[in-house]
Amino acid sequence: MGMTLAEKILAWKSGREKVRPGEIITVDVDVAMSHDALGAHTIAKFKDLTGQDGKVWSREKIVLILDHYVPSNSIETAKKIQNIESFVEKQGLINYYGIGRGGICHKVLIEKGHVVPGDFVVGTDSHTTTHGVMGAFATGVGVDDMACVWKTGKTWERGPETLFVEISGKLKQGIYSKDLMLKIIGTLGVDGAIQRCVQFSGEAVYSLSIDSRSVLTNMAIETGATNGIIDPDTKVSDYLQGRTKKKVDLVQGDTDARYERFVRINASHINEPLVACPWSPANVKRVSELEGTRINQAFVGSCTNGKLEDLQVVASIVKGHEVAPNCRMIIIPASQEVYREAAQKGLLDIFVESHAFVSGPTCGPCMETHMGILGPGDAMISSANRNFRGRAGDPTANIFLASPATVAASAIAGEITDPRKYL
Amino acid sequence: MSLIIKGKVWKFGDNVDTDELFAGRYIMLGNEADKEAYKQAVIRGAFESLSTIGAADENMPTGFIDAISRVLSGYENHNPDSLEALSGDVIVAGKNFGIGSSRQQAAEALRFLGISACLAETMHRIFYRNFWNVGGIAIDQKGISSLLAMGDMAEIDLNQYTVRNITEERQIKLDIRLPEEFILMYEKGGLIPYHKDR
Repeated sequence: MGMTLAEKILAWKSGREKVRPGEIITVDVDVAMSHDALGAHTIAKFKDLTGQDGKVWSREKIVLILDHYVPSNSIETAKKIQNIESFVEKQGLINYYGIGRGGICHKVLIEKGHVVPGDFVVGTDSHTTTHGVMGAFATGVGVDDMACVWKTGKTWERGPETLFVEISGKLKQGIYSKDLMLKIIGTLGVDGAIQRCVQFSGEAVYSLSIDSRSVLTNMAIETGATNGIIDPDTKVSDYLQGRTKKKVDLVQGDTDARYERFVRINASHINEPLVACPWSPANVKRVSELEGTRINQAFVGSCTNGKLEDLQVVASIVKGHEVAPNCRMIIIPASQEVYREAAQKGLLDIFVESHAFVSGPTCGPCMETHMGILGPGDAMISSANRNFRGRAGDPTANIFLASPATVAASAIAGEITDPRKYL
Repeated sequence: MSLIIKGKVWKFGDNVDTDELFAGRYIMLGNEADKEAYKQAVIRGAFESLSTIGAADENMPTGFIDAISRVLSGYENHNPDSLEALSGDVIVAGKNFGIGSSRQQAAEALRFLGISACLAETMHRIFYRNFWNVGGIAIDQKGISSLLAMGDMAEIDLNQYTVRNITEERQIKLDIRLPEEFILMYEKGGLIPYHKDR
């Protein structure tokens, strides 16, 4: 019996021949990412663990990125950022992305070539599952976990069963990987893959760009998954060319690997853009069922959908239109690289012309951190990944999740709108 | 430390998420280097989150927020009796307990309040590991929520791998097997204390 790629990575990194589902093992970490939201907290735990002069296990494998509270929104945050900066300097950490140098952690890790196929990646962020797009085993951890990784280079993991999601067909015009992922989450439910690995495969997946694919692995966590993974193809190695110094080997799962369950979805059968309604990413409806629903905030950005291709689609929709008078639109490129490319291509100009508010890279209003926070009774349509009650502000504010195209069309109309009218 | 614990059951429903347990706005509060101040800040954050966001959720048991309020006033008014309002208690939940963020405060707050174990039909992975890491017992197994009702006394035995309803004299066998190192981690009080001694 063969192994899936996820099982192979766990076996390689734990020095075992095989890892049984449910088995608790100790794993070597290749990339350990933390950010401003939990970085200072991790540092405090690390100092508690090792004493004031404790040294990290690797200066290269730890990556620290500021993204949640960028730039600082309070004295409290500023102190935590100072704390992170002095830790980076004292430890001689090589991979630090401060303000103006990186962007949202999950975009930056991929862009800067930190993750290659076969890696075991942990991050103090639940959307660390994103990095499975590169053929890595990538998953979120808490701060105690991360402090111990910084000291030992190891962590514990429970071997997951794998759920195989095979996506055939081709996405129609106006339907994007976000709609596909909402379809998958709606089908599986928020616990459909709980403590499981979700492997995405099929012609519809492999026809997508790396950025589009990463929407699937990013939101794999919304099905309760431990991680999401896509066996890497040459698009991955091509993407990494010039971005990484690490060796790129297109490792694959075995053809006779065992899967707990198969889910088959035909992308050609998604006839309409989809929207996740409050308070769950699995509460998915067709856009036509929601047309006319008033919104007063539209957000394009986040680790899910703040990439160049997203901004290009948004620009093609808002060009020549204005954001509805009773609505505010916030557009946030996911990284400095995306920001610059968007500027070079004239996209930012189109956004500003349409009365969108455009900012430098940050997590922004995805969650209630430092900007774009919702008041009582507000309604936001967002290209981000989570719409739990109170996630982005007042508990009475509604949050709808959709593709950047649907967000853009809704911003112009001031109500939830099918983007195909503008394409 | 004993591998057998007993506690009173608080019964939660499905999909209790990390935003209602500990809202995003409180993540940056508290100075982690000052453990006692941090503990109080985390309990305060959990109280605010549960009493605003969580209170709107029908999955929250009646009386739980009041109990947290008592613990909080125990800290703020130096009343040792009310500090024990939730001490040793056990959370029993339905599907998908702890869904969401990696914010450890969601698990840590429950431990600071005195919750000794979280049992659920299914549990979100990061919450699951965070709760073990901060010194609690986290168990996800189908059928566990029908074993225990609100107010029952639960007994969790990690030697025999059983969970027992003492009130009704029923028990189930657990599927999980914990490696020796993992048991040691639990006995030490969590991941950091375990690694500190190595």
